[in-house]
Amino acid sequence: MIQEERYDFVIVGGGPNGTALAAYLAKSGASVCVLEERPEAGGACENTEPIPGVRITPHAMYMYSGPSPGFEQLELHKYGFRMDWSPQSENLADQQARGVATTEGMSPITDKDAMGFAKLAGMLGNPPFIKDLLRATFWCPPHPPEVEVTAENIPYMQVYKQHQPDVWTEELLDMTMFDLMDEHLETEPFKVMHAMVAWYSGAAGHWEGVAIPAFACDITLTMYSGISVPRGGMHGYFHSIIRCALAHGAVVRTCCPVDEIIVENGRAAGVRLRETATRDEKRIWANKAVVSAVDVKQTFLKLVGPRHLGSSFRKKVDEISVKGGSIWVSHLLTREPLIPRPKFKAPGCENPGEYGGPYPCDSREIYFEHVADVDGRRGDPTVPPERLMWIATQSTRFRETDPQCTIPGVYLESPYYVLVPPPEYQPDGPDALDKKKEEINAYMRKAFSQVIENVDDDNLIMHLANTPYESEFRNTGLIGGTWCGTRHCDDQWAENRPLSELARYRTPVEGLYLCNQTACHPGGLCHMAIPYNLMHILIEDGLVEPGKWWYPSPWYIPQDGKISAIPR
Amino acid sequence: MPDPLIGKIFDEFPDESEWDVIVIGGGPNGLIAAAYLAKAGLNVALVERRYEIGGGLATEEVLFPGYYSNMHAVYHMMVDFMPVIQDFDMDRHALMWTKPNAQTGMVFEDGKSLLLARMVEDSKDSITKFSYKDAVTFGKLTRRWRRIVDEILGPATYIPPMSPLDITMAMQRTELGQEMLELVEQSPLEIITNNFEDDRVRALLLYTSCMWGLDPRETGIGMFVALLLQRGTNKCYCDGGSHKFAGALAREIVSNGGTIVDAAEVTNILMEGGRAAGVQIAEGRILRSKVVMSTLDPHTTFLDLVGAGNLPPDLKESVERWQYDKWSYYTLHVATKEPPRYRCDDNWINDAFMTIFGIESLDQLLAHWDNVVAGKIDLNNFGGHATCESYFDPHLVHSPYGGHVSFFQVHAPYDIEGGWDEKGKELEETILAKWQKAAPNMTRDNIIRTGHETPVGIELRFPNMRRGAIKHGDYKPIQLGCFRPNQDCSSTATPIEGLYVCGASTYPGGMVLGGPGYLGANKVAEDLGVAKWWQPTRAMAHYVKTYLE
Repeated sequence: MIQEERYDFVIVGGGPNGTALAAYLAKSGASVCVLEERPEAGGACENTEPIPGVRITPHAMYMYSGPSPGFEQLELHKYGFRMDWSPQSENLADQQARGVATTEGMSPITDKDAMGFAKLAGMLGNPPFIKDLLRATFWCPPHPPEVEVTAENIPYMQVYKQHQPDVWTEELLDMTMFDLMDEHLETEPFKVMHAMVAWYSGAAGHWEGVAIPAFACDITLTMYSGISVPRGGMHGYFHSIIRCALAHGAVVRTCCPVDEIIVENGRAAGVRLRETATRDEKRIWANKAVVSAVDVKQTFLKLVGPRHLGSSFRKKVDEISVKGGSIWVSHLLTREPLIPRPKFKAPGCENPGEYGGPYPCDSREIYFEHVADVDGRRGDPTVPPERLMWIATQSTRFRETDPQCTIPGVYLESPYYVLVPPPEYQPDGPDALDKKKEEINAYMRKAFSQVIENVDDDNLIMHLANTPYESEFRNTGLIGGTWCGTRHCDDQWAENRPLSELARYRTPVEGLYLCNQTACHPGGLCHMAIPYNLMHILIEDGLVEPGKWWYPSPWYIPQDGKISAIPR
Repeated sequence: MPDPLIGKIFDEFPDESEWDVIVIGGGPNGLIAAAYLAKAGLNVALVERRYEIGGGLATEEVLFPGYYSNMHAVYHMMVDFMPVIQDFDMDRHALMWTKPNAQTGMVFEDGKSLLLARMVEDSKDSITKFSYKDAVTFGKLTRRWRRIVDEILGPATYIPPMSPLDITMAMQRTELGQEMLELVEQSPLEIITNNFEDDRVRALLLYTSCMWGLDPRETGIGMFVALLLQRGTNKCYCDGGSHKFAGALAREIVSNGGTIVDAAEVTNILMEGGRAAGVQIAEGRILRSKVVMSTLDPHTTFLDLVGAGNLPPDLKESVERWQYDKWSYYTLHVATKEPPRYRCDDNWINDAFMTIFGIESLDQLLAHWDNVVAGKIDLNNFGGHATCESYFDPHLVHSPYGGHVSFFQVHAPYDIEGGWDEKGKELEETILAKWQKAAPNMTRDNIIRTGHETPVGIELRFPNMRRGAIKHGDYKPIQLGCFRPNQDCSSTATPIEGLYVCGASTYPGGMVLGGPGYLGANKVAEDLGVAKWWQPTRAMAHYVKTYLE
């Protein structure tokens, strides 16, 4: 017997954003249904075990969401959330002892570097304001359209002004992260290392106007969560979110791809599932809203469909830039632990098999050369392997109680990342790099062997990789095969992300909201920020009334004529 | 830890916590036990070693990237009887099973084929090609056996075990019961050869009844022939992959207030004053409870987690006697552009849920199994079964290169002559050649990717499938019924107060029956004096009324 189904909210896409929103809404007492296309919810917060005893993380690896109000508001600790803290302390003093990897070996981090960095990061305030700084950058919805955005009301500017007035200057708003670092830090390799981490995290170190967002991405990872991972990987973190949603009554279904967001009389009324979906009834109706947690282009061009959109809007959506770097993720299985060449052995590091971080960080020339290669859409990586920038993680650090590799006598280096141009911009077609997978893997190993002495054929058992094109298919929300989808550049940040008319998560279709990293401030990295920010908007529109556990961003400005999300 | 300047970042799951019930192991039985008890209002924590719950209900991206495969339980045989499906609203989780009519095909080198279908007359049509007499016998026996399964064996799976004497007494009550007792006395090989004349029909029926680990020559297990042949023609596929069933159960646990803690290997069961008082997990956290339910194998539960020193001598002795499955499985997973198309006299074979090839005669099948038990696979003489999963399930393929996922599975010893590192690759090549012979489109050109899982691999992925034992222990008379895992523990309670066992090594056994978890939940609810919110299924009530009251 087929029964009609109705919920207050229908959410398309069961990744971290869609599911965290479901948790927020369900906890607020709303009825919610999340529809996920793949066999497992979690989106890019995923694990997979392609070889028995070898668990890899093809996308999300580290904890960027440490400052999120979601931990308190959703009480994730009740749903099994645990961290696997890196046994190696990630405090600045420890980083200073290790230094930064350059072609010459480890370059020391000076006191000026460390103090400047700590000052910018809000660690020298009294009390330290790093959490405020990060929340101001990511965990606040963009300001409403009637409010003029100025240096006085940009949340992170307010934080600096209050806590570290000597950092505050109006020029911060035009700076690149390099400009910022040139002013406060000393050594080039230290700056290049952070610029590169920022580039991987969505806002590059050389982009104008996003100095603080870029810097904040970097410190969220390197300082705030201490380059640590949740137990069970980021999928373990996701589990606590989905279980919170379920515990409050949300329905989360897998193998239920959505083919259409049903628009009736200009209003999103529900969704239509694909014919093959594991569900007899192919239509699910939304009383209050449909929320798309898949990328912005598919949301409008495929799910809503052009006939419900104005032609200039349709064109704008089509032209949203995804031109940033795309990520090639590798996993290396070896017979012996990987050993850094002598000049890269960190003084404080007892286990010779440990090497993690970016390389080579000699100078910004190397960085620019690589950026020009990738963002210049040149197709293949063209820089010689010895100048190719990469980031390797230290999966071995977590092997004590939450091991990723349990095969005796086998070692895992995973993930190992390189940025490449996205499939859409490969001159020889989207599968161009896939066709040369072995060749590019070999090129990457050559680059890696600048630092590691035994990445050779004798030691290597297997080089597993997912190309950006494959990533895009595996996770249809990862357009361009990247984590952030669309660049976190000034033209696509805060009130401009991804377009000014979509910045507050509302859309031209009444009852349709956006909740995806490509479409919404502040972008990627599993922050629980988009769902938190979107909650302000759903409250404004009178669709949800959370309980006493809710608190809005202190920097939030309510929109004229709407219900304020600040509890009375 | 992050820089001390930053201070505390967020709360984590507590270092010590209190629960009513802790379930060790998130496989089908652990999930079922936890789901019933959570809904009964108990404060339940399910603790799982892996990063994902499900145990053998695993749908994983083995052919990375983009192709999902079902690692173990592909063929769900007890969907028609499992109480859990009636008791929970599985529709809410969009859980569906499909039951193809074309169930098990067998293709031979000469292009002939046999097909067992869900509909008896369809099977008879196929058997008629070889022997009209066998077809008639098959029809008569199947109808009779179906009644035995529907009335006795199916519902009895979810009723606590009885002693052989009590069973005999109960079965005497009806003609059908007496017929079942007669079956028990015979070996599978006797049942098949006494009733069927054609060699190939015999080979197919013996394969189908013994493929999950029965010894064809062993007496005392004959009722399994009726059960497995009947259920073998009623296998279901869980749409979206086996893991979807696990996901639905996990959702029931959590939405009823239960807690799941994964990536948490239990290192020991806490013992206080001779009783079980909780568990400790790898990172040191302690979870205390009134009741601990273990779904792991007896060696892990008793010797490793409780500790041999804490066991009564009789229990220790019977645990040490426990024997793992006599064979495991080697599985070759393949991603192909097209599904395999078998060359044979019946196109319907290409719709079959399972296709056996490589077996040409009864003697050859027996020789292959004898080899396996002796630690060998003769590359010139082996066969197995294949399934193209994506033929039934579009959700498994997420690759720009499209196509299908299939697997071929062959019985295999855990310890193999020459070691699995070498043998694994060699076997892969031989299987691909054999497969192409049976299905000519399985050419190198059609194959996108391959990956194999050896018995050692099974154990690496699921450490309590020791020695690759998918049922956690052999099916033989002294490890079945009220002897599984031993007389003291088969009703799920153990001689250790507060400790219960309800995994595949406990009555009624493995293969996603969902029996041990269900029986464990019943027992714990009774012992804790908690009202049961569920009722026996109609078939169970009928069985109890007819045979036990």
